[in-house]
Amino acid sequence: MASLLRRHSQAPEESEQRGVRGDVVAEALEPIPAFCEVIDGHVKDVIDQTGEAAHAIVQQMVKVDSLAEVMAGDVSQLAGTLTRTEKELSQVSSSNDQLVGRLISYFLYRDHQIRALVDQMRDLNEHVTQIEQVSRATNILALNAMIEAVRAGEAGEGFSVVADEVRKLAHRSSEAAHGIGSSIADLTAKLDGVLSDDTQFDRAQEFPANDEDTAMTRRLGGIANAQREMSEMVSGILRDTIAAARQVQQSSDTLVSETTQAVGHVQFQDISRQMLEHVAEAVADVRRQAEAVSGYARGEISAEAIRDGAINVEDLRAKHVMARQRFTHAAQTGIAEQDANEPLIELF
Amino acid sequence: MTTVMLVDDSATMLMSLKSILTKAGYTVETAGHGKEALDKLGKGLKPNLIISDVNMPQMDGITFVREARKSPGMRFTPMLMLTTESEQSKRAEAKTAGATGWLVKPVGPDQLLGVIKQVLPGA
Repeated sequence: MASLLRRHSQAPEESEQRGVRGDVVAEALEPIPAFCEVIDGHVKDVIDQTGEAAHAIVQQMVKVDSLAEVMAGDVSQLAGTLTRTEKELSQVSSSNDQLVGRLISYFLYRDHQIRALVDQMRDLNEHVTQIEQVSRATNILALNAMIEAVRAGEAGEGFSVVADEVRKLAHRSSEAAHGIGSSIADLTAKLDGVLSDDTQFDRAQEFPANDEDTAMTRRLGGIANAQREMSEMVSGILRDTIAAARQVQQSSDTLVSETTQAVGHVQFQDISRQMLEHVAEAVADVRRQAEAVSGYARGEISAEAIRDGAINVEDLRAKHVMARQRFTHAAQTGIAEQDANEPLIELF
Repeated sequence: MTTVMLVDDSATMLMSLKSILTKAGYTVETAGHGKEALDKLGKGLKPNLIISDVNMPQMDGITFVREARKSPGMRFTPMLMLTTESEQSKRAEAKTAGATGWLVKPVGPDQLLGVIKQVLPGA
């Protein structure tokens, strides 16, 4: 390094004179103020740079803090929504249970009604049996009447005709009663089958139109409407929950982005470190020069050695690596810096 | 998984960049200077991208890039210089040594990730 001073092992020629030339000392000390001014500029630069970066970090952290608050609010809102959802879903579940219970009761009620009708139809069979018994008795009476008519001879001929018609009527009544009895038996058997086995519904190819206006469709329609309203309510609750969750996610994403930016600002430390290292080197140069002047004054170092190792502001400039250091150097020395105008990011 | 090797003598820089890249989904390997990074490559590490500082002790970034290009499988690996150095001659030297690009500190996370996307289009 040009600024490094060599200590002479031999006594300098001026030492014999035992005097110190003031002009040499003055010459050696002359660049020190300018040198120090540049160092001063760099130190201030580091202070400014650190201050700006610290400010940016604080700003970023304030944003992060406020976002964390917003996020905490969102989470609280989400928790509230979820609590309400849980409560309302519990109510919906209870209402559903009630609806299903009512539906089962309704169908049981209809079943009982139909069974009662079937039982009443079975009771009709007893009346049919009575009619058949009456028909048989009438038939026997008609036969007896006919026998009596034959015994009466010619006078009973008319009565014989009537008795025969009565017998025929009794026979027809018996047939009709038998037919009614068979129909009732067939009908009740079918109704029993329908009530005990509904698998025919699964096998059916055609169904009656479901917009028929009957007591049952009205009842079932009411239940379906209630169920639809509850489904809509559940959907609404879920939509609110999803919106709240998305809000939390959005806040979280923004928070992550801001944190990343904050982490990026920490690069200032590396820049400041390098700047301070250069300042430390420059201060060390000043210290060495001061030591050399001191040595010269004591007669230990020659004037030539002082001149050879003297610090130089331009030497300082050559050590800078950052554009900002060069601009600061130029500003402090008053020497115009050639603007290289290189891009900060360049892909070759 | 895309692996990025970071080479910097500043522990703060390594921590900051590692945090940014890990959050972006990259696997990160670090080294404190060029020699350490070269040793890792010699032991078989095959990063998809290298981001190196320039001014470092033991082995500077430009020498590292020049030597790394000689490692097996590293001929076409993108190597970015991330530095405070703004000297044009250094930039030209890095280009000749085989660097892919030059980024002057400080670089924002979005800028850095944008450049990585440019040099690693499929990652």
